Amino acid sequence: MRKGCLLLGMIFLVWMVGAGGAGAADEALKVGFIYVSPVGDAGWSYAHEQARLAVEALEGVRTAFVEDVREGPDSERVMRNMARKGYDLIFATSYGYMDSMLKVAGEFPDTVFMHCSGYKLAPNMGNYFGRIYQARYLSGMAAGAMTRGGQIGYVAAFPIPEVIRGINAFTIGVRAVNPKATVRVVWTKTWYDPATEKEAAKSLLDVGCDVIAQHQDSPGPQEAAQERGAYSVGYNTDMSAFAPRAHLTAAVWNWAPFYLEVVESVRNGTWKSTAAWPGMEKGIVGLAPFGPMVPESVKTRIEQEKARLINGETRVFAGPIKDQQGNLKIAAGETASDEALLGMTWLVEGVVGTTE
Amino acid sequence: MTAELLLPLLAAAVQTGTPILYATLGEILTERAGVLNLGVEGIMMVGALAAYVTALATGHAGLGFAAGAGCGALLAAVHAQVCVGFRGNQVVSGLALTILGTGLANYLGTPYIGQSIPGFQRTALPLLDQIPILGPVFFRQDPLVYLSYLAPVFVWVALKRTTWGLNLRAAGEAPEAVTAAGLSFARLRWSAVVLGGLLMGCGGAYLSLAYTHLWSTGLVAGRGWIAVALVIFAFWHPGRAVLGAYLFGGVMAFQFRLQALGTHLPSSLLLMLPYLLTIFVLVAASVRRRGQAPPAALGVNHEPPD
Amino acid sequence: MNPISVHKRTDPLTWPAALILGLAIVLSLSVSALLLHWQDKPARDALVILFQGAFGSWHALEDCTIKAVPIFLCSLGVAVAFRLQVWNIGAEGQFAMGAIGATWVVLQFPQWPAFLLLPAMMAAAALGGGFCGLIPALLKVRLRANEIIVSLMLNYVCILFLEYLVYGPWKDPVSFGFPMTMVFPPAAIVGAIGSSRLNWGLVLALACAVGFWIFFRFSRLGYELKVCGESPRVAGYARLPYHGLVIAVMVTGGALAGWAGFLEVSATLNRLQPSIMVGYGYTAIVVAWLARLSPASIAAASLLLAGLRVGVENLQLEMQVPAAFGGIMEGVLLLTVLAGGFFVRYRVRWRGFS
Repeated sequence: MRKGCLLLGMIFLVWMVGAGGAGAADEALKVGFIYVSPVGDAGWSYAHEQARLAVEALEGVRTAFVEDVREGPDSERVMRNMARKGYDLIFATSYGYMDSMLKVAGEFPDTVFMHCSGYKLAPNMGNYFGRIYQARYLSGMAAGAMTRGGQIGYVAAFPIPEVIRGINAFTIGVRAVNPKATVRVVWTKTWYDPATEKEAAKSLLDVGCDVIAQHQDSPGPQEAAQERGAYSVGYNTDMSAFAPRAHLTAAVWNWAPFYLEVVESVRNGTWKSTAAWPGMEKGIVGLAPFGPMVPESVKTRIEQEKARLINGETRVFAGPIKDQQGNLKIAAGETASDEALLGMTWLVEGVVGTTE
Repeated sequence: MTAELLLPLLAAAVQTGTPILYATLGEILTERAGVLNLGVEGIMMVGALAAYVTALATGHAGLGFAAGAGCGALLAAVHAQVCVGFRGNQVVSGLALTILGTGLANYLGTPYIGQSIPGFQRTALPLLDQIPILGPVFFRQDPLVYLSYLAPVFVWVALKRTTWGLNLRAAGEAPEAVTAAGLSFARLRWSAVVLGGLLMGCGGAYLSLAYTHLWSTGLVAGRGWIAVALVIFAFWHPGRAVLGAYLFGGVMAFQFRLQALGTHLPSSLLLMLPYLLTIFVLVAASVRRRGQAPPAALGVNHEPPD
Repeated sequence: MNPISVHKRTDPLTWPAALILGLAIVLSLSVSALLLHWQDKPARDALVILFQGAFGSWHALEDCTIKAVPIFLCSLGVAVAFRLQVWNIGAEGQFAMGAIGATWVVLQFPQWPAFLLLPAMMAAAALGGGFCGLIPALLKVRLRANEIIVSLMLNYVCILFLEYLVYGPWKDPVSFGFPMTMVFPPAAIVGAIGSSRLNWGLVLALACAVGFWIFFRFSRLGYELKVCGESPRVAGYARLPYHGLVIAVMVTGGALAGWAGFLEVSATLNRLQPSIMVGYGYTAIVVAWLARLSPASIAAASLLLAGLRVGVENLQLEMQVPAAFGGIMEGVLLLTVLAGGFFVRYRVRWRGFS
């Protein structure tokens, strides 16, 4: 009992000492970034961090980031903290931050909030994502062209729409060049766990896959592919450093152009709340350079397809597209709407695996 | 499942089981002397980071391995001091070590996420790897796995055939006898804990040097706790620890292969398998105990009659 | 000849307990300062930022209190078990099962009014968490299976079960396929107290605290628990039902952690999703050991550790210190208290070399 009261007393003392000391007013535009994983992961958060550095380089702009923030009340606190410290623009880079951001946005109407990979909006909150599936589609073409046995492995993270969309786009690309190939999916339920993801890749290699693609941020699957003499497709960033003999290409993010645009619009007061979904035409997503093992003919074909995607001649999810059970999900001549894409929970024909 | 899938699965079981084997052997050594060390998870993390950083800095994977083992021993020494020196509660001290070790490793390791090192590569042993079945499974692994084949032998010899081992076991079974014989009870327990920590550090080092060539914050992912459970499953014998470790490795590898084959079972439920199996073996071991009791003085801090 | 002589005290010192804790905090901060310095960060500024983030404003204190409530509930249950030398490491899993139980009620009876729904959710949460605590207790009592391992493994199992539910049968049909249940109807949400951000869960926590204090002070079972903890042999002589007590403390601990889970899904997140798991169960172990059995101490320690978490977040924002920093401080704190306990129980004399 005494101990408890003493401790409470100490806390009070500490509070009295620590209280006070508000920050001075600042002229620079303050931009905050919230990451769901450590920035060094060479993956998702790393890609955002590269863009943040580009923003930091701007005149009159100061940025800060908090990494490894768990979704839920922790993220809410971090956002609130940032807003209270006078940050003008806050980016939250994971879908799980959505509800927290909405709540905090309601409390700080003068701050602009941008949420990545979600779908909720508010007068001072917009959301954004990139059409990475376009890059996945192209990388699928590379995989389909390079597979010898016709089995391609996909190490997938969590069965959420963006991952499923990625698998589907990839498979459509594979089958565009290799109609008989199949894509096998293994779920690791991790975003960054090299040991688990490598094991998952090994299991795919064991059942006969000779190209490995992934959705996670760690290079574990790349290592596994190289060790077995198979090929691999990276994600988020160019992963060839980890597997130079295996890495065909990667579906990569390039957030800088978009972030710079948003910062400028906030600075000159023209920012509006929108659901932005730019793609390859804006340079937000792209392909990493091809590895030395990819033949010229394949490269040319993919480059041509890329050009056609950029000028709108081709669309990735253009029908006829069937699901795993053979039902026609997108009719011939139609293209999937953005809404259908955002809520995609079914896998296309050619994928072996469940969505659970 | 076809035969051609079985051999790769067994080989994967060996790889996945190796870090658990090292850690289990370390914990067996520690517990035989009567000290419960629940800090295995934290020690493995520190060992993994130390090994990785050293290998990155020096370019020598072997040095990295030594560093991982050394740091594991160092962290275990903290546990030894708190439990043996300060007679602190062993359970809580171990838990504190897990929290501290994990925190230290993640804090100091953050700058190293996303880099790769050459580490240890797989080298097949000539002649031995041609043996049908055993060859592909056991003799096409990397050097640290080969070392782990020798580790249980060393631990067994140390415990059963050396004076030190005999005294160590006495410290775990009958501490009064040890002090009556004029031996330093504290020193015996200290040596067991530190050596145990060394082996646990080896397990951690394996994860970042050979199993993957990367460091990440979730690298150990509960393997330390499985090792603690396996000690009970193995009835504190090094030989049975090998069986347990490979069994676990097999289950962890198996659930991915099931997915790869296209099963419709939800992956969350499949991922539960290793943990459910741990509970199961614990229960099975407890049921079958009859005569295979834990060291009598396990977890008890001895009060020397000073 | 050992130059240091160690004698067990016949009467352990009582006054230094708070001093030791204070010393532990100082040591923990020093180690942290050293580590910060090693990473080229200004240590003194960092510590100031840490304090300010945790306790430096009403807002920060609010954050601390909100965070302290679930830690407190989990710690209460864990502390009672620790007293009996029963190591309940499964508070995380019990927290998850409590959340799952409460969610099940909401999903089954979304149309019920608040006065029916909230008590039902609380009951289901207590059942879920209690059941999760029952399993290791039964296995310990019947088969002498180590409850540390069983409860720990159950943590992993329960969290995976939660994931299975939100990815599968309980997935919200309108959330674009993301793994979360539907948003809870207003009747299922524990509201805020007035205009502050604190919710009525605080009242629940306080009620539990008072309840426990009364229980241990005035009831026979409370007395038995204290006695059993001091020495199981004494308990045996007095023919106290050790097995029954083990089950009781594990189930109670599970129920309390389950209530913490209920508060998290009802008041904080308003739905069930995997990110409710933030490690309160493990922090509860640290609190329980630091604070022993007095509810006031447990409350204070909960606030302290909640403050640590919040402060570390502030540190991250201002100085880019990795989040794992908090774990280091917790670990050092615990080890120092353990080491300090030595000096409470033993008298150390310098005998000199002979």
